[in-house]
Amino acid sequence: MIHQRRRLRNAMLYALLAVVLLGLVFPVLFMAFTSLKSVNEVNLIPPTIIPRYPTLENYPFMARAWDFWLTLRNTVLLAGGSGLGATVLGAMAAYAFSRGTFRGRTLMYGLLVASMAVPAMVTLGPIFIAYLQLNLLDTHIGLILVFTAGGMPLATLLQFAYFNAIPRELDDAAAIDGAGRFTTLFRIIMPIAMPGVFVSFLLLFIAGWNEFLFVFTLSTSPDTQVLTTKLYTIPPREADYQSSNLDLVATAGMFVLLPLVPLLMLTQRQLVEGITFGAVQG
Amino acid sequence: MARARATPPAQSRLQDIFSSRYAVFYVLVVPAFLLRMVYSIIPIIQTVLISFTNRTILGGQYVGLRNYEVLARDATLIGSLGWTLLYTGVSAVAETVIGLGIAVLLMQNLRLRWLSNFIMLLPWVVAPMLAAVAFQILFFEDGGILNAILQELGFGNAAVRWLSDAKTARFSVIVMTVWKNVSWVALIFMAAIGSLSKEVLEAAAVDGANTLQRFWYVTLPLLKPAIYLVLLLRAMAEVQTFEQIYGLTRGGPGSATKTLALYAFERFFQQFRYGYGSAVNMVLLVMTIAIGSVFAWLLYRSREI
Repeated sequence: MIHQRRRLRNAMLYALLAVVLLGLVFPVLFMAFTSLKSVNEVNLIPPTIIPRYPTLENYPFMARAWDFWLTLRNTVLLAGGSGLGATVLGAMAAYAFSRGTFRGRTLMYGLLVASMAVPAMVTLGPIFIAYLQLNLLDTHIGLILVFTAGGMPLATLLQFAYFNAIPRELDDAAAIDGAGRFTTLFRIIMPIAMPGVFVSFLLLFIAGWNEFLFVFTLSTSPDTQVLTTKLYTIPPREADYQSSNLDLVATAGMFVLLPLVPLLMLTQRQLVEGITFGAVQG
Repeated sequence: MARARATPPAQSRLQDIFSSRYAVFYVLVVPAFLLRMVYSIIPIIQTVLISFTNRTILGGQYVGLRNYEVLARDATLIGSLGWTLLYTGVSAVAETVIGLGIAVLLMQNLRLRWLSNFIMLLPWVVAPMLAAVAFQILFFEDGGILNAILQELGFGNAAVRWLSDAKTARFSVIVMTVWKNVSWVALIFMAAIGSLSKEVLEAAAVDGANTLQRFWYVTLPLLKPAIYLVLLLRAMAEVQTFEQIYGLTRGGPGSATKTLALYAFERFFQQFRYGYGSAVNMVLLVMTIAIGSVFAWLLYRSREI
């Protein structure tokens, strides 16, 4: 009797799980399927879910139209550069907050935390005007600086927590051996806190990869476009009137998503750790 | 020694700052701090100042509170404010409730953990702009997949106008936002539930509480701080939403899904009305701080008890 009830309960739980997971995966999965459809199939009514005649023809077509490799390079440069910059500068600040007692420490820490509440849109206008005057529009460095500054609170707070867990005796031992603060940070503390340093970089890299608004407003030339800002430049297809171009839209979407999928699979555990860091901290 | 102590405080403060023991910490902290301030607090001060001018791309002058007087009678702004609050409230609450449900479900030691972990991370890793693309495909109206599925299930033959009807578009936008964020919320709750003390739950089980009672009377009260934290973070993120709505509806049809951020963007970047756009941004800033303060207070109180 109890055994039976347990089996019924489990069956219900698995059914519920299936519904939840299907709901979460379907929008992305259907986009992937749509990208594999031909022009003819994407215009079928009623539409097919799984493509009957899957084809990869949309991918080279979109890659040419997008200048894909240049765009990918820009995206990696922006996400990687800002992720690295914020992680290193954030580590320095986190180390000072963790080990130092200096005037303005509480104020500076408080302002860094408070700055997380500032809506991006509110800062964007003045940044745009300043960039216009400083000729920083359409430059890689201008964009990398915006993203580095944007990632700074997360990089600092995350690494602050990791550094705090490292005993101060290590710093003292290093000091006795004649190491300065910078040497201690880069040679001893950061290597020990490498999981935290890596999580910080990873979260900022993904955030930079996915950002749209700042690049959209601060860059116009193809030389600085990234994958997300290209999403809505869908090229016209020959003899393409009256028909829907959802297959091309979906392919564009896959260009943004696909490079992240291996990263997601390899770093699942670190990602979950980074995401939940705030909540467990309490 | 006594003499050195007697130096005026201003000088000793300077000495503190430049004495090598402290200097290194300033060298460490100042680059990060300064860069962040230049890109966050300073633009806010500029936004305040610009909001008192009628500045456009061609320049402008101080007009005092004119922009705010116009704002108070701007029907689009008032509509946008109402929609922003509705969107924020409904999305944040729906994400919290559904996310908590998913977290509890996934904490039942079911199999397929690797698969569920991967799928849970998927909506989180999807760019807001990409979520808009995925849902644009789902919500396609003439022969789109969602309408086809609804017809297959026998919900009538009329195609639902997911994005071209004001009311449905609002619903669609909220569905997209909840989809995008619900798994993040679930991950937070799973971590929070995992950190709860097992003993309390076991004690309740020994006392004869069933699963539902244990959840309602033991787990839920213990999760209060986590719930307020999630509501705080979600509401503050939702109130300033721009990207995925811009991607899916451009704020339309009409102004039906135009959040404050979209409206500010329209004034500032599409009409180049810097003064008025900044005033709209001030409304957005005040809303964000207000929502943040309310939930931060609730969170603070829930931890006191």
